Order: sequence, then structure tokens, then C-alpha cells
Amino acid sequence: MSQEETHDWQQLAPLALLFLVLAGIQKFIRENLFLILGAGAGAAFLDWMGLRELLLGGIGVLLIILIVALIYHRRFRFCMVDDAILVRSGLIHRKELRVRFARVQNVQLGQPFYFRPFDLVRFSLETPGAAQKEVELPGIRRELAETLRDRISGLRDARPASLDGEGEPAPAQAQAQADGANSAGALMYRASPGALFRYGMASNQLWVLLGFMGYLLSNLFQRFSETLEDLTLVESLIGTLGSGWMLGILGVGLLMVFLLGLSGLIAVVRFHDFTLIDRQERIVARAGLLETKEQTLRREKITGLTFRQTPLGRLWGSWFIKLRQTGNAEQELAGQKHQLIVPGLRWSERDLAGRILDGWSLPEGFDRIHRRFLAFYWSRGLLIALIPIASARWLSFVPEFVAWAGGGLLMVATGAVALRYRNWGLASDGRMLWVRSGLLGRSVDIVELAGVQQVRLVQNWYQRRHQLADLELVMPQGSVVVPFLPAEKARGMANLAVFAAETASIHRV
Amino acid sequence: MTENTLNFSNDPVDPAGLPDFYEATLYPVDDHWLPYALISRLWFFLAALLVVTLGPATGWIDYAMWTFWVALGLVGLLIWTTVVTWMDARFRGWALREHDLIYRAGVVWRRTVILPFARIQHVETTSGPLERLFGLTRLKCFTAGGMSADLSVLGLDQETAEQVREYLLEQIRDDEADTDGNRPATPAATLDGDPSE
Repeated sequence: MSQEETHDWQQLAPLALLFLVLAGIQKFIRENLFLILGAGAGAAFLDWMGLRELLLGGIGVLLIILIVALIYHRRFRFCMVDDAILVRSGLIHRKELRVRFARVQNVQLGQPFYFRPFDLVRFSLETPGAAQKEVELPGIRRELAETLRDRISGLRDARPASLDGEGEPAPAQAQAQADGANSAGALMYRASPGALFRYGMASNQLWVLLGFMGYLLSNLFQRFSETLEDLTLVESLIGTLGSGWMLGILGVGLLMVFLLGLSGLIAVVRFHDFTLIDRQERIVARAGLLETKEQTLRREKITGLTFRQTPLGRLWGSWFIKLRQTGNAEQELAGQKHQLIVPGLRWSERDLAGRILDGWSLPEGFDRIHRRFLAFYWSRGLLIALIPIASARWLSFVPEFVAWAGGGLLMVATGAVALRYRNWGLASDGRMLWVRSGLLGRSVDIVELAGVQQVRLVQNWYQRRHQLADLELVMPQGSVVVPFLPAEKARGMANLAVFAAETASIHRV
Repeated sequence: MTENTLNFSNDPVDPAGLPDFYEATLYPVDDHWLPYALISRLWFFLAALLVVTLGPATGWIDYAMWTFWVALGLVGLLIWTTVVTWMDARFRGWALREHDLIYRAGVVWRRTVILPFARIQHVETTSGPLERLFGLTRLKCFTAGGMSADLSVLGLDQETAEQVREYLLEQIRDDEADTDGNRPATPAATLDGDPSE
């Protein structure tokens, strides 16, 4: 592909219209789902409106989405200049966006199944400051997308002194970069279908499915309860199984097995044939059955790595890695992060962290936090909870069973404090910090001290009396906290982090 | 072995030899901070007082039996707020070192924040109507880590806030100009006075 061709203003392929329409429908459903299903009101509304009106409304919405997509598609233009990509778009207001390659931290290529026969892809890129994908080009030729990707990476790899002031790369380095850009790269990790299924069963997606299914079932049960009462099916089932409790347990059990399987299958489809490839300065992840995605990350733009295991994952030893990048305010509020997930790992594969970034391997052991963590939460924390419960019971504000339930919860909280204490741990070699934490699940946050944005030391009255402190390192992707460290050690770590940040030659943002 | 591995070095650093942020002498906040903080926090107390006094009159709160305890609670809240604010004003402070800004605040949870200049993206000074009344200005330092990584230094008088802002902007410019990452050790003595005074 010639340079002239990428320098010209280009349009999206006609098939991109299908993508835009589907994306519009998906957005409409996502934003209005609560109206359709919300608290049964949606169902009552549908009953009142009738099927014909519903169909007409649906067609109207579809037409609006189609018209919006048509205008967007017609007005959308993009081109690449020497060091940036330009995008012109907008329905009512014309918007022209210019993104410098130097700011790009993540390039993604996606190929939904309906793009495959035409060899089209969806190209997108992210910058550290953007709330969402900064640039998205749905439906451009694969060849063009790959040229864009390689030019972004290539220009970044061999950026001139005028851009970053770091001078020309050394010949050997430039050669290695060129080799890296041209070669297919070395395979670092490939996830088997079994590993993906295990990851899916343990992922938080299960709880989302459970919540949705629980809501759907309760609504359905409410709507058809009268019909069910007329039938003798339930009664006969209850009779066969001896009691309603058994039926309930069986139902919940079957639902859980179904949801575990569904969650596993979703992961297999989403991460189908997941591969992680080492391309020198970049890491490339490819996966997906219905939509094949390729994500390219600059190594120097990775600001943190989390090695994580969910509570269910602990049952069958499934771990995953989150590669973290600089987030922003909006995403912090929405609870989303710039990250790439490497699914389906075993503990024996933990050396992958060190292969992704040199020196980031998990350490052999972790230092525990101070034992007074237990003493503080067991004495002060639980006492603060116990006093209102006991007072409320003593003043007869609450019935006896509520007080007992409160007491029971306190017992659970006592155990939870002990579990939290057992899981907290930290290790550092002066350059890196590893922080282990968790309650039922476990995670190890790996951060490079040079990337720290801000260091905080927090002490409450109890901690000041016992010479303890909480250390919080604010990183570009979020905070890493280690509670109840000896104050001397926390101060030492803080000094080390500040020193590393102030002498760092590369800022990973 | 990848190129990353070849270029990688990991020399040990002696933590004991590093400058200790704890030894930095902090400037106290401006004298007007205490009355400003008391008045700004008193609004919450007044709101609570309003609810307590107007509640029974409107009929949606009835605590005739608990009048003494409610009054005691309010007095306790007032004393607590005053004491905490007074302690906070005594403890709150800030310092500039060659390469970072230190800010300390809090009474129950004492928080010391160290913000390296290299991480500051831009600096601004703002002041609300009440702050302007007391001649106070807050200094906001924005970093790349989002809202949680930004730092607001409260309780500076307007002149000092402007001086610190200029100093920080100068440091950021130096940082950008010095491409090797070795910024010049600009003395923090552009500000008048000694913090220990």
C-alpha cells in the first residue's frame, strides 16, 4: 500500500453500514433494557400497547438508527499524515480529530464474522486521555488497517529526535525494531479451549448472568404463576421429591450448572484461539470466534499487571492476567479500565508476567503486613459494629432474631478479617513492587515504582500509636494500597517510590 | 533472549541513603485557614440544627422524649467539629523539595502526599467566595493518573499560591526541556521565609 494512498481522504466500505446499524441497535437495547424489563413495568406496558403497535415502534426505531448510520457513514472520512491520523465525522456538528501516533497506547483490529468474506476489519486506537476508543474505523480493508497499524508502530519505534528528543535509535536497536515490525513474532502463550472454559466458569461474567437470569425467572414466574397454579405439574413434582425445599435446591443447582456452562461457553467464543505474541517492543493478542480481535500494546505503555484468581477460579486453579494501561477520570467513575486480559492460566504459567515485561516475574515469597491489622479490625472495627447491635437489642428496638443475625454477620466479618490478613503481602526489589491481596479470590498487583504518580502515607490514631502506616501508590491505572506496614518500612517504600519516579527516564503514560 | 532483556539492568538502591520526605520541614497553612474552615464546616452544623428545631414543628420528627439527648448530641458535634478543625489547622502543612511537593492533612486519618514534579501535567489556582473573603487560594495539581491522582493544596494565601504555581510551572518546563530526565536542582527558595520560622 503506497504512502500516497493512505495520505488521501478515505471513506468507509459500504458494508460498514451494517456494522453501524448493528452497533446502533446494540446501543439502543443496552441503554433501554431497563425500560423494557424494569420492575415489570415494561411487560405491563407491552401488554397495554399490543403487538402491532410494538412492531410499528420497533420499525420506527430501526429506521431512525438506519438514517443516523447512513448520514454518519456518508460524512465519515479519514486519512493518515506523517505523524498522525485525521478523522472527520459528525451528524449535526462536523468534527475533525487529529491523533498523534506518539500518544497511541493501544491499536485494535477486529473482524466480525460478516466482514470476513469481504476481508474488512474494524480498526480502533486508544490514547491515555480518552474516555473510550479515540478513533474507530469500522469496515476498512484489512490491508489498509494493517498498513495503518504498522505505520503507527513503525513511526513510533523509529521516531525522530524532534518528537521525543531521544535522538536516533542505535543501528542495532533500529534493526531489531525493524525485524520486530516485519516478523510474525514469537508465540508467548496460547490458551486451550479447556483453559478458556475454566476461565469463563470462574469469571465475574457468571454473576452478571446469574443476576440477569434471576431477574428474568422471577418476572416470568410472577407472570405465569396463575397458570402454574392451575397445573398440577408443580404439585406432582413436589410430591415426587418429598418437599419443596428439595425442589428449590435442585432448581438452583441446575440453574448454576447451566449458568456455569453458559459462562464457560461465552468465554470460549469470546477468547477463541487466544494467542499472545511477542513482537519486541509490542505485544499482540489475538482471539475471537464471531469477531476476531487483534490488540497491539506498546510494552512501554503498560503501566501495571495484575495476576488474578476469582473465588471460583481457586476451586479449579484458573488464573488470568490483566495488562493495565493509563485510564482516565470518566472510566474510573464507570469502573472500567484500559486493560487487556490474558485468560485461562495455571499457576505454573506465572512466569508469563516476566516474559511480558522483564523483571516483572512474580517473586518467590511475600512479606506479611503487621499482625495488628487483625487486632485493630477485631477489636475496634467489630466493637463499633457490636455496640449498636447490643444497644438496639437492650433497648428492645429490634427483635431477638435480628440481634442474633447481626451477631452471626459479625462472626463472618471476623473470619473475613482473618482471610484478608492472610492474603495481604508485599515484595519489592527496589525497582518493582508486588502486592498480594484478596478475600476469597486472590490477586497480585505488579507495578514499577518509576511509574508512580503520587505517594500517600495514611495513619489513623491506632496506627500512630503503634508506629504503623498504610502506603498508597497512585499509578496511572489506579491505586495500589498496602495497609498496616511498620511506619519505618512504609516511609522507606515511599522514599524509594518517589526516588524512582523522579529519576525515571521513561514516563509510562 | 530478547532485546529488552539485553538492555535491562537492575542495580540495587540503598533505601537508607535516599532523601527522607519525613525530614522536610513543612510550611503551615495561612492563619486565616482556621476561621475559614470553622465557618465552612459550621454550615453542616447549622443544617443539622435546622432539622432538629424545625423537625418537630413540621410534624415529621417527634423526639419529645429525647430532647436532652438530641441537644447533647448537637453540642457534642459542635465541640468535636471545633476541636478537629483546630487540630487540623495546626497539623496541615506543605513543603516544596527540589523534585516534589509534599502536602499533609487530616486529624483522625493523617495523610501525607508526595507528588513528584515530573508527574504534574498542569497547575491551577482557584478560590471560592468564602475563601476569597479570607484571602485564601487553593492550588490544584493535575496528573495523568486521573481524578484520584490529582492533588489540591488548601489553605494558601493568594500570593503564596501564585508563587508556588509559577514555581511548579517552571519545574514542569524544566522537566520537558531536559530530555535526559536529569532536571536541574532548582532551589525551592524562591518563596520568602523559612518554614521553621
